Amino acid sequence: MLPHPLSRLAALTFLTLPVSTLSVRAEEAPAEEKTSSLGKQYQSIVNVECSSLRVDYRTPWNAATPTGGSGTAFLIGPNLFMTNAHVVSNASRLEIKRVGDSTPHRARVKHIAHDCDLALLELDPPVAAFEKAEPLAISVDIPKLDTTVKVVGFPIGGDRISVTRGVVSRVDYQEYSHSGVDQHLAIQIDAAINPGNSGGPVLQDGKVIGVAFQGYSGDVAQNTGYMIPVPVIRRFLKDVEDGKYDHYGELAIAHYPILNPAQRKVLNLPAQDVGVMITSVDSTGTCAGVLKPGDVLLALDGYAVDSNGSINIDGEQTEMAEVVERKFVGDKIKLKVWRDGKEQEFEVALKAFPQYLIQANQYERQPEYVMYAGLVFQPLDRELMDTFGLTNLRTRYYFNYYTQDELYKEMPEVVVLTSILPDSINTWLRDYTGQVVEEVNGVKVKSLKDVQSALAHGPEGSHVVIKLAGESRPLALDKTLVSAAHARIRQKYRVSKDAYITP
Amino acid sequence: MNFRFPFTASAVTLLALAAAVLTPSAAEAAPAPETSILRVNITSQGYNFALPWQKQRPGTRRGLGALLEGNRVLVTAELAQDATYIELEQAASGKRITAQVEAIDYEVNLATVVPVDAPGDFFKNMEPLVLDTGLKPRTALEVWQFEANGAPVTSTVDFDRVDLAPYFLEDQVFLIFQANGAVQYRSGTFTLPVIHEGKLAGMLLRYNARDQVSDILPAPMIENFLKDVAQAPYEGLPSFGVRIAPTLDPQLRSYLKLDKYEGGVLINSVTPGFSGAAAGVKEGDVIVEINGYKLDARGYYQDPSYGLLSLGHLLRGACKVGDVMKMKLIRDGQPLDVDVKMLRKEANEFLVDPYVFDRQPRYLILGGILFQELTTPYLQLAGKEWKDRAPFRLVYAQANQDDFLKSGRKKLVFISGVLPAPCTIGYERLSGLIVNKVNGKEITDLAALAEAVKLPENGIHRIEVTDGPRTIYIDDAQAKQDNEDFLPSRYRITEMEQLK
Repeated sequence: MLPHPLSRLAALTFLTLPVSTLSVRAEEAPAEEKTSSLGKQYQSIVNVECSSLRVDYRTPWNAATPTGGSGTAFLIGPNLFMTNAHVVSNASRLEIKRVGDSTPHRARVKHIAHDCDLALLELDPPVAAFEKAEPLAISVDIPKLDTTVKVVGFPIGGDRISVTRGVVSRVDYQEYSHSGVDQHLAIQIDAAINPGNSGGPVLQDGKVIGVAFQGYSGDVAQNTGYMIPVPVIRRFLKDVEDGKYDHYGELAIAHYPILNPAQRKVLNLPAQDVGVMITSVDSTGTCAGVLKPGDVLLALDGYAVDSNGSINIDGEQTEMAEVVERKFVGDKIKLKVWRDGKEQEFEVALKAFPQYLIQANQYERQPEYVMYAGLVFQPLDRELMDTFGLTNLRTRYYFNYYTQDELYKEMPEVVVLTSILPDSINTWLRDYTGQVVEEVNGVKVKSLKDVQSALAHGPEGSHVVIKLAGESRPLALDKTLVSAAHARIRQKYRVSKDAYITP
Repeated sequence: MNFRFPFTASAVTLLALAAAVLTPSAAEAAPAPETSILRVNITSQGYNFALPWQKQRPGTRRGLGALLEGNRVLVTAELAQDATYIELEQAASGKRITAQVEAIDYEVNLATVVPVDAPGDFFKNMEPLVLDTGLKPRTALEVWQFEANGAPVTSTVDFDRVDLAPYFLEDQVFLIFQANGAVQYRSGTFTLPVIHEGKLAGMLLRYNARDQVSDILPAPMIENFLKDVAQAPYEGLPSFGVRIAPTLDPQLRSYLKLDKYEGGVLINSVTPGFSGAAAGVKEGDVIVEINGYKLDARGYYQDPSYGLLSLGHLLRGACKVGDVMKMKLIRDGQPLDVDVKMLRKEANEFLVDPYVFDRQPRYLILGGILFQELTTPYLQLAGKEWKDRAPFRLVYAQANQDDFLKSGRKKLVFISGVLPAPCTIGYERLSGLIVNKVNGKEITDLAALAEAVKLPENGIHRIEVTDGPRTIYIDDAQAKQDNEDFLPSRYRITEMEQLK
């Protein structure tokens, strides 16, 4: 089971800490905290109320359904608050509330990064009361295992600020469930983290050492909460220094451990327990034209890679991806490779690899579609798979192997005939939904725009013809009937626009 | 809810109706359950497709067979599948003799079994059944069974419609007679003989207790099977090998330029290597007539015996290998006459065998790496939802076999799993990987693999697969040692390969 964002938890679990425990720990806490249990620092931790819009991929022309959630944010600079991306995603209105001040203040998203679940907010207009508040300092280091941490925020169980304590339980890579596809370093803690804690600071020695962001519900695992650690936070802050957020870079390679003696022998490695075998190199990615399948990656930026793909950074054994994690698109990476029985060195410039986002949860996006005579065409992504429960084998193939088999080269956008608004013109076509569109009026479909333009400017002929991938029959629409039917369908089904394609 | 025999317990209560005893109108010598049907007790034991060097647990099933001329007993193939031991039993006396399968066709779900040794007086006083192949709907039929004590039981059902439906294998669709009426349940048997006026009208395949509807495998299909058996070698049924779509959609009709014509079905795709492809039938052709029978836009024709029936019957169930079908096609709006000679493709001629019975799955073990040829039964190990649960690459290959056939493969060789052994360190978790090359040789089937593994380079095997590590290296000396020692002693595998 995957972890899920706390503010979206459906089944809430209370993890009430006994008061006596709290008081014991309070005695152990540093002295200045004792006197400032609701002092200056807490003035910088705020409650975020987010009104958001949930779009429906089944009726992509509709305005969205208003919904909302609540989380935590904290001041990190002048009029600059940090929170989770999932707290403020798809926001239509944001309000920030201070401790002891019931007035909500309007805020807006300044930067948002869905791949690492972080966002920066600012008050708009700025509020004088916050000018006195002291921004929380962000620590430099990853906390050690079994050291005490404190989680502050506005979780379920009351309206006022809440503090829980625990220790650092584990430092490891985790899937960030907000995007559903990204993995970064995350730190597991056993302090109670509950819905509403999302975006709140995790403090040690008075400094922020993480942002609480996800956890397991109590029926899956006990006292298992996760925070986004400092390296990820600092990377995000550095990334937005130029005024915009770029995506993480990716090596876009696949590798396999070198554990088998025969494998070692063939690769003729200089030593035991070094390097991983490269199994595939994406032909458009960072390492295209540099690495080859069968190469052994010995080191990344001087960090030796062991045969399991781990490296040692600052005394911590971690995945080699950590080297890439700390870099930005455009940064150089040195690769030490074992090829043809000798060491070779290469340098590559890190590139983003947006193709993999087809499998990610989508945010801040108005769903794209083309509606034509009741036929609804939409580009394939995770939302489409989930919303329509697409089961067609070819459609699943395009979704599952889009990056691995480099299908994006042939079809940068995979267009699916997702649904049909019933009308006399399309009454015989309803069995054909859920399939990938291959051709429209003789034009090979490489994007939704292709569908739109091929439908608009088809060649001469009596019919509009749509060919689906695989073995279904062609879908033919009589041109003399289309325009009346299209207008009728738009009116009947209240389809406000024929199409929406992101400019 | 449809289910196969034996009936479930709930069906028993639904069926607690008095037996409708029919008075036979024929003379004294007329066939009766006690003279013309036999219990057939069959122990089956199929292979384990996950661990192909061993068989599954044996299981025993009972059915009723119809006695035919020449001391042969007709049963369904489903009952006789993977048989290891067969007995014929007289219901009343309990006398038994050992029997064996004479002929079996899993597609049409029929088999004949015959005694292994001279039957002595086992068939004395028994009366073989003849077939009644001329039945039409609106006929009363009898279903024959026995009580546990051997007393005969007869239920009456009304044969009232004809359709095409799967017999045993899910995509093998043939003529069935559908009958209404309660069938009583006796002694948990598979398949029951169905009789009309003392003649064999068919074999009851399944019975829906709630709706009291029976599907009967009818005598004309049995007759074709028996004729084929009689002129050995057995050939089986041919197939046309196209996918079709109805042409009810008026816009599709005008696009296909069918306005001048009536009915017809569109050919969506033509499978290479089948009758249609061999006769030059093309994607986009519309079939409007077969052997003088006009097809409607759904692909139905007016059958002289049964009324409206799908063309599937004409092109498969009612066909023999070598028959020539006279087809009228519309290609690009123009009529075209094509003679299609009907050909057969055996299950083992498919890239992925649609079914495997009575033989061991082919496999080869190289020091713990288990190679197999992909078969549909292997995928079906994942359960009823195998299309969602089995490894996606393999499911996709099964559905798109033509793509692989084009590249010269005969079978799809894949690594189904890895047995942890000294030579497979680091590879233990691999499974479901399609094998492309081994030691530089293209792997077109398991026989090609068996040759390729004789050619390690510098003592190392190089196995190229589609996903995962892409290239797997195995030490030849270690693999040989593991094949001889580790695998036999730890996994109790005695045979490291089965190539036929």
